[in-house]
Amino acid sequence: MTAVRPEAAGSGLTGGPPEPDLARGWFPTDAERHRRDAPKYCPACAAGLSLAQGGQGLTTEYWTGTDRVFVCFCGACGWSGDIVLADRVVGHEAAD
Amino acid sequence: MLTAEQNDELTQVAAGTPMGELLRRYWYPVTFTRALEEFPVQPARLLGEDFAVFKTPRGKYGLVPEACPHRRASLAYGVVESDGIRCPYHGWLFGTDGSCLDQPAEREETNFRERVRVRAGHVAELGGLIWAYIGPEPVPELPRFDVFVMDGVRDIGWAELPCNFVQIMENAVDPHHTEWLHGRFFEFMARHQGFDAPSSFGKKHVKVGFDAFDWGIIKRRVVEGASEEDDDWKIGHPLVFPYNMRVGGANIEQMQIRVPVDRTTTRFMLYSVHAPAGVEYPEQPQVPDYQIPVFDERGKHRVDYVEGQDMMAWVTQGPITDRTVEHLGRSDVGVTMLRRMFKEQMSAVARGDDPLGVYRDFRDRIDLPCEKNKFDAGGSFAIDFIDRGSSRFSPQADALKKLHIKAMENRKAAGG
Repeated sequence: MTAVRPEAAGSGLTGGPPEPDLARGWFPTDAERHRRDAPKYCPACAAGLSLAQGGQGLTTEYWTGTDRVFVCFCGACGWSGDIVLADRVVGHEAAD
Repeated sequence: MLTAEQNDELTQVAAGTPMGELLRRYWYPVTFTRALEEFPVQPARLLGEDFAVFKTPRGKYGLVPEACPHRRASLAYGVVESDGIRCPYHGWLFGTDGSCLDQPAEREETNFRERVRVRAGHVAELGGLIWAYIGPEPVPELPRFDVFVMDGVRDIGWAELPCNFVQIMENAVDPHHTEWLHGRFFEFMARHQGFDAPSSFGKKHVKVGFDAFDWGIIKRRVVEGASEEDDDWKIGHPLVFPYNMRVGGANIEQMQIRVPVDRTTTRFMLYSVHAPAGVEYPEQPQVPDYQIPVFDERGKHRVDYVEGQDMMAWVTQGPITDRTVEHLGRSDVGVTMLRRMFKEQMSAVARGDDPLGVYRDFRDRIDLPCEKNKFDAGGSFAIDFIDRGSSRFSPQADALKKLHIKAMENRKAAGG
């Protein structure tokens, strides 16, 4: 895999973000998809979630099966919840 | 996975950053009571700032920025006097409230002294540790958590680690690592290095759970062979926001403390209280503290004990782990919960509210929920804990084992 260095992103905070950890393993496609697909606005109040766009929220992404789950928190209104990018919408599941 | 900006924000400690402002709402241990009894002034670095912490002959504690405002010489080399600390260079004297009390070479009739007040922190002693608060007024209460005030035999191991404290705290909400890092990996190393690994750590996790509560996040687990009726699930143990984890089992109560010294340095402290019933505890005029090894003589991580394995995992993530290239799974749900909690509390501070864990009504003792029967391993856990944990480096390791064995024998003899 050819490592692709992401464009430097200024944080507006002291010192800016650290350089990507290229030497010990790097997954550029995943990182770029995260930046592209992460929810940018709060579903409840429409405030920005992304720091880069001046928002005060947090989106942490994790994977479960083929789904990509974004755990979101909005610093403007306090809303918190999961947004799931799913390959398949399942209608019924057996109860536990 | 986070963006670079989010990772940057999450790992800052400097004043003026959202995370640095949040972290300045809490008290931190900066040295040992013993250290100031042996020599009354010590250097202390906290949240990227350097201080001198001191104890006057009258028994009053003080904390001032290390650099003297005169010409920047170190007050950590200062002369401690009954009213405060005097700069070793030209003798400027500062009180515990930060006021300048004397400038020997200046003329008396000027008001120069009043113009050079230093920003003093607040200092308190609790449980053999000296605690400092460097945030805004009004000063919150220093939380008197159970381990710092309970009866028992105290023991403090510590190490200074070259990494950001958040990646250490993420480990505190990651139960699954136990069965691998302290189970399978421990066995692997034991086989190759010729020692015995404890069996209690390797049990498979059937279920993990996390609940936010007044002091942070309670972590729960069900290991193979146990059930939701067992302590590990029913009680669990807490991450105490933002920089502690309370853990225990088999009559050993412990606070794991992770002090953000600066952005890429964390002081890891294992504050243990050995408190088995059925035995008298010896007097401890001073609480023993000792440095635990992080690296061996070849510069490789020491991984032949539990906390050495943890430190290897934390430090090898890098000084600030790059969360733009991580891959979280469902088992990392505790990690995502903690990051969200940090962010929520940064927002609370920005609104002018007190964040989680800052409290203002004095309480003599704050009991935290913590399991007693760890990993469903019974009483043998105490000996495993000492033999295969950081306590093995304690100057009182043998005495601690004897204490637990004696207590077990006494309880048996009493039919307990």
